[in-house]
Amino acid sequence: MKSPSEVAFSVLQRGLLSGAALLVPSCDRDEWRREWLAELWHVRRSCISIDETFSLDSQREITGFCLGAFPDALCVRNLSDRTSAPPAHMHGSAAQTLLWLFVILLLCLLVTSLLPGVQAENEAARFQIDRNVLLISEAAASRTKPSIPADLYRGWKKTPQRFFDNLAFYRVRRETADSGSARICWNVARATANLFPTLGLPLTHTAETGSDLSSIVLSHEAWMRSFGGDPRIAGRILRIGNASVRIAGVAPAGAWQLPGSPDVWLLEPDAQIATEVSAKTPGYLFAQLSARGQAARTSPGITISARDPENIDIDLSGTPLTEPVEGPWNLYEFALFLAFIALPAVSSVSLGETHLTSHRPSFKQSLRRFLFLGAKFALIAGIALFASFDLAYWYTPNYSPVAECVQLISCFLVCLTGFRWALADQRHRCPVCLRRVTNPATVGLASRTFLGWNGTEMICMGGHTLLHVPALPTSWFSDQRWLYLDSSWQFLFADTGIY
Amino acid sequence: MLAMAAEAKLSHTAAMILQAISAGYVYGFSIMEMTGLPSGTVYPAMRRLERDDLIRSQWERQSIADAEQRPPRKYYKLTADGRATLEASRKRYPLLDRLISTEEASSR
Repeated sequence: MKSPSEVAFSVLQRGLLSGAALLVPSCDRDEWRREWLAELWHVRRSCISIDETFSLDSQREITGFCLGAFPDALCVRNLSDRTSAPPAHMHGSAAQTLLWLFVILLLCLLVTSLLPGVQAENEAARFQIDRNVLLISEAAASRTKPSIPADLYRGWKKTPQRFFDNLAFYRVRRETADSGSARICWNVARATANLFPTLGLPLTHTAETGSDLSSIVLSHEAWMRSFGGDPRIAGRILRIGNASVRIAGVAPAGAWQLPGSPDVWLLEPDAQIATEVSAKTPGYLFAQLSARGQAARTSPGITISARDPENIDIDLSGTPLTEPVEGPWNLYEFALFLAFIALPAVSSVSLGETHLTSHRPSFKQSLRRFLFLGAKFALIAGIALFASFDLAYWYTPNYSPVAECVQLISCFLVCLTGFRWALADQRHRCPVCLRRVTNPATVGLASRTFLGWNGTEMICMGGHTLLHVPALPTSWFSDQRWLYLDSSWQFLFADTGIY
Repeated sequence: MLAMAAEAKLSHTAAMILQAISAGYVYGFSIMEMTGLPSGTVYPAMRRLERDDLIRSQWERQSIADAEQRPPRKYYKLTADGRATLEASRKRYPLLDRLISTEEASSR
């Protein structure tokens, strides 16, 4: 039976070994621990007397032995660090380059997944305003300013229309909304209930209201700005002015083209619009062309001769609201195409395949080389896609034509510089092992080019090739040349592994 | 050439450990007991000697340890390079043989 002191010392000694074991690299730890535990067993047997009475000196000696495990663990660690240093062949290898590109791609993808603006652009491209919907305005007035009196809308609504199927109307006013936690000043558009069906825009994040309260639709921008893009926003009750309203949903990002920059649309029945909006109040009128209207339409915009409620002739114009939203994929394809077209203008597309000797790389080596180049191009193209999203939507959570423009330009530039780098990198890779050639040495003098050549020589650390790059391209030495080294060179290179 | 370099660098401690192993003290604790060196010196020195291929380690068979009801131990023995280096070290440290004699170990 062991005394408590012995148990305490035993725990301490094992604890010391366990603590020291943490210093040992995990690959060597088990064996190291096993050796020290075996030694400890023998040390105990040797130090503790046969009658097993507790002796402080013995325990001190055993503990001293265990303390020696720390210098040993550090020694094993140091030796392991020296032997496990990355092998020379990893530096500048093809695998390392692809790994770095892949890591950059993943980082860009991660950032993109966190940016709401990218989703907004997708949405804007997916849900666009019906191209048969026209914004009716006074011919002489700007289409961004409200110019149609509410009375005209009511008059048109009451009479049967030959060229229009549906009419929708809203007017914008600055009002204060109370969300319970904050008071917000919004551009509130009091709109007819059929506005969004007429425009052909489906609402997102909707919920059945099922109550007597008026419904409001948030713009994508207001939803992001005031509610942080909360997907469960529908159904929440707010106060706008003196009335309580319920959020019915969020307008898709494609609604950014609607004039007046409304933050919310307060949907009201026609009867309410008729009683609450004064006859002269100007607003925006939208008309959906009927089949006959579409047949009669000869140009995107139309002119309309009509009479106002006071029976005075007025000239109106109808302009389509749809401005093309290319969407992220179309822009990306276009930028990629432009980059490929522009590449020969900024870089030589030659891979420097001129050889000094008759030695030619095997088909397998050539295939591997081109596959490596293809993988670099593919990864750079992916990086360009996500990096351009990140740059375009870093500061804005909403779709905007400016962000689209930034995306196009940045995608083009990243593709162009990336492809240029990929080609330059490929020209400095050994055709045998795909490692970058290193140790540049300047050879010759520019003043003696007539008798020899001057330039830079670089060598493959695997001992496969020597690369000659002329400083001044001449008629007899215009491009870089590879010299394949024979096996007599191999003894100079400790590392002959490939990849 | 490598052996000559190792021989030139071999410290007295390392030479004592080589001599102890040569004398038949083939595991860490017995080397500690024989040389009087602490564990924090002996084990790291043996790691370095093993790295330099002067000694080689081998685990005892489990069946032997089980028969004696103890954990298996790790034994060390000299390599050819180790023997050559020890021979050179004996010339450098003439008292090495007297400190740890082979007969003493074999009598244990």
